[in-house]
Amino acid sequence: MAASMASSIGSKIAIVGIGRAMAHRSDAERKTPLQLGAAAAVDAMRQAGIERRDVGALFTGRTPQSYMVLQYNQSLMNELKIGPTFCSEMTAHGAGALGGLQMAALALEAGIIDHALVVTNEASGIWMDQVGSNASWEGDLQFEAGYGATTPALYAQFACRYMHEYGITPQMCARSAVENRRWALDHPHAAMRNKGAITVDDVMSSRMIASPLRLLDCAVWYPGGIATAMVLARAQTAKDHHEEATYISGFGQCSTHEWVGERMGSSGYEPIGDEPDLINTGASVSAKQAYEMSGLGADDVDIVQTSAPFSFANLMMLEELGFCGRGEAGEFVESGGVDYDGGLPFNTNGGYLSFGQVAQGLYNLTETIDQLWGRAEGRQVDAPKIGLVHGHGGVLACHAVVIVSREQLH
Amino acid sequence: MNEAVAVDQIDWSVGIPMTAGPYFVGLYQPSPETAGFWEGVTAGEIRLKECKSCGRLWHPKRIVCTHCSSTDMGWKKAAGTGEVYSFSEVHRTPSPVFEASAPYTVGVVRLDEGVHLFTRFVCEPGSLQIGTRVGAEFKRMESGQLMPVFVAGGR
Repeated sequence: MAASMASSIGSKIAIVGIGRAMAHRSDAERKTPLQLGAAAAVDAMRQAGIERRDVGALFTGRTPQSYMVLQYNQSLMNELKIGPTFCSEMTAHGAGALGGLQMAALALEAGIIDHALVVTNEASGIWMDQVGSNASWEGDLQFEAGYGATTPALYAQFACRYMHEYGITPQMCARSAVENRRWALDHPHAAMRNKGAITVDDVMSSRMIASPLRLLDCAVWYPGGIATAMVLARAQTAKDHHEEATYISGFGQCSTHEWVGERMGSSGYEPIGDEPDLINTGASVSAKQAYEMSGLGADDVDIVQTSAPFSFANLMMLEELGFCGRGEAGEFVESGGVDYDGGLPFNTNGGYLSFGQVAQGLYNLTETIDQLWGRAEGRQVDAPKIGLVHGHGGVLACHAVVIVSREQLH
Repeated sequence: MNEAVAVDQIDWSVGIPMTAGPYFVGLYQPSPETAGFWEGVTAGEIRLKECKSCGRLWHPKRIVCTHCSSTDMGWKKAAGTGEVYSFSEVHRTPSPVFEASAPYTVGVVRLDEGVHLFTRFVCEPGSLQIGTRVGAEFKRMESGQLMPVFVAGGR
């Protein structure tokens, strides 16, 4: 039932305005996530040619880590002085950023609003010790944090099983980090743009963080803040708003657990089978939904961004999103499958490993849209038409996939 | 939880601020649905949730039996033995108080009853493998919390 309902909405909704705001740790005047989010929202409304009164719905990702308030959407709504008839946070950890687009698309397709505003904003790289704070957020405070678990150590549980069950090696994972870095060298805002290219040996000789994850296997926290706002409208009005409207051809979402330890008590539903494991995630379910909705398959996708915060997750997500078979990502990557030169354009901003992780946001989607419209200066992929963006949060707990296209597909 | 607090003296409704050295890392919140587990830890036992309807055993946090949908849950003592399901040796610690212990190993133990718990493995660095047999002991962690740990080659 979900699939048939979903297929009717593919390509019916478009992104008709994009607003952006950035800040850096070194700025003389430090900006809050709310300042950045509000600036991006105003920019997006201007791009789409709509007024405050036109915003029928506002959806935000979860409250920024460095601006912890309950119901962050209300703070932003209040600041913008808009009067949405549908307003909410989309709280599915980092997957909520893309999830907000889903809420907007559904509300638009249902006809209860004409324009939706989706905003994500984080500035935790300016205000916080993210290594210390995330250790206490990603782990269950009763059953995990007290053992001294860090975010890498929690993800490493998945890495440990994934490598064990499929024979994936640290070198295979490292290769993806090498390619991520290569892309970042061409991106004007990537955290690691001035750090030079790296080799598999560099990754393998970097210091151990939480085995099997070494320093260069890990995401770098973005040393600043990024806000992204998007205005969405129905496809038939898209070109009235913006000539470079981008169509949402498919989306999907799936959440499986909250804590790593307790995930292993889950069973009996997709993607967790009768025997729970740490190698299958909701990304595959999200991708399947998005493909069915769009009528596309992995072969049709020209450019991919994932929210992989560790190199092994690059490989795991290539499998989950359908770009190679189960357990085959190691060979896929080692044979040049995601090479900067000639491979599938993959994490073209450098990914979480070398662009940097901004906790959560739509910056991977803006990278894709920039590529679709030929605006990716210095790193432009050859005429991509279809892009897939994966977002996730928790410890591989919540996943969302959005497929966007330059033209309306059907 | 830097002071040893008897379980029966804990105000479950408030929780206990959990610190690691000078760093506040969160609110350690035993609550009625997990109190039995921590009482067990104080008594030197691993206690699991047991569905009183179908008899299945679950993680100590579990409120709903997802096998039969019962919410009638009790506690059952586990043997305290199992094997390593997954693990990671932590070199970069979350806060200074853990540094003296690094590298230490955290991971998931599969208890012989079939329930998985996140835990600390006590072992020689580099010695652990998936499937290594382990047994429970109880140790006050660097964070101050008395918690079960699993010792390689134990029991």
